[in-house]
Amino acid sequence: MSDYSIWVCEYSYVKNYHKSGVLYGAHNQGFVKLPYCYVVIKGRDHVAMVDVGYNDKDYGKVLGDRFGVENWRNPTTVLAEIGVKPEEVDTCFITHAHFDHFGNVEDFPNAKFYIQEREIAKWVWAMSLPDRLRWMMVAVDPGDIVRGADLARQKRLVTVNGAVSDVLPGIDLHAADDSHTWGSMWVTVRNDGQAQSQDSWVLAGDLVYVFDNIHGPGAAVDEKEVYTPVGLAVGSQTNLVLATEAMMKQVGYDSHRVIPVHEERLRDTFPSRITREGLRITEICLADGETSKVSA
Amino acid sequence: MTLQRHTLFDRLTTVHRPDCALFADGPLPAQVMGPDDLALRLGSETSGRYAAACRPVFEDLRRVVGQLAGLMILAQLTESSEVACLAELESCRRRWAEAGERIGLLAAPDALIPHREQIAAAHAFSGLALGTFSELRPRGDNEAAFDVISRHVRRAYAHLSAATAEKAGLAMVDLSHACCSCGR
Repeated sequence: MSDYSIWVCEYSYVKNYHKSGVLYGAHNQGFVKLPYCYVVIKGRDHVAMVDVGYNDKDYGKVLGDRFGVENWRNPTTVLAEIGVKPEEVDTCFITHAHFDHFGNVEDFPNAKFYIQEREIAKWVWAMSLPDRLRWMMVAVDPGDIVRGADLARQKRLVTVNGAVSDVLPGIDLHAADDSHTWGSMWVTVRNDGQAQSQDSWVLAGDLVYVFDNIHGPGAAVDEKEVYTPVGLAVGSQTNLVLATEAMMKQVGYDSHRVIPVHEERLRDTFPSRITREGLRITEICLADGETSKVSA
Repeated sequence: MTLQRHTLFDRLTTVHRPDCALFADGPLPAQVMGPDDLALRLGSETSGRYAAACRPVFEDLRRVVGQLAGLMILAQLTESSEVACLAELESCRRRWAEAGERIGLLAAPDALIPHREQIAAAHAFSGLALGTFSELRPRGDNEAAFDVISRHVRRAYAHLSAATAEKAGLAMVDLSHACCSCGR
């Protein structure tokens, strides 16, 4: 019995992302394609999302010109591929405040948003620091925080402290402080609804970018594999590795149940299709009675 | 004139909510030409000089607006007025004051006066928001104060957004190490 369907929906991508940003220490190892995705969780009379992407009208030209980000499509177009309208989304879990995850709240007019309080508090702190410490506030758009304040006025923003169980039935939030960002979090779906679930999925946000963050080469330390953290962290790589261990523990060390949304090879692991716009839809699992959105 | 009145009436009644920041006094936020747009007309030295002087002001205001919005989120959702006493708010006030001094020294060539006005308006509205933080009351009903702060912060952000000029380094997001800093 599965309560929720889960899809990873690509909304844009960059063809040549430096590999060292994905894998700590992978210097001079070339480039990889980096899909930009959000996750849709549908079931138990809810439509939820993990992150909401960014709004092209604010950043599109800069990202295209300077960073080679291509083929952005709005949520209406992307979500139509799985039969969902943005207005139907009632809950959004924001894994962290980077613009490409928190940058499009206005396209989900009926959603309530969840974010770690620490994520907001520490960004405020970082913005208060002298200019020489500016590195600590990269990739955050003050405009997203302004829109977050508007959401708070509308009672549509919820800040949480640490782990929270059953935000929606069988869906939990877990904090990873001082890791990729100050207050990152991941989302765990216990798809059988059981406290000791045998059917858990972890939606990792940017705590894990790709499979290689979990299955890194371990020969140098006489291990078959070791965790290799994400390259980009304002917290620490140690905390990223510890978060990876915690996520893996939740899924009984079945690594294919930890979903890295920036992983192009999700299509090799889960049923997927490419849309008319050239973007990928990956079907992680289907709720009872739900029809596939990737098979003909 | 009649046409203008109708247009304004339509805009006010159909587009803007009663609490829209555009109802406040002052120049409207409107995208203006930045030093990068005007480099050819003004000469690279003139526009470059203005851009260089404007960058620290823009950076100050970008942070002030972000801090104010973040502090407002925390004050609302924690239902705590202690935010008004935080060191972060004090540093925000200092940064805002420094930005004001820099704006006072910011000389704009004629073509860039509208740009400077947007910057000055962002500073003015963020100052109004800052001032309202001191009105938050412990254990009191602060909803009205939050409404005012929210309106001023939105307005300040709108003015600052109108003054963005990517090539001149006046950008809302520092992408230098971001998820998209990708091999270029």
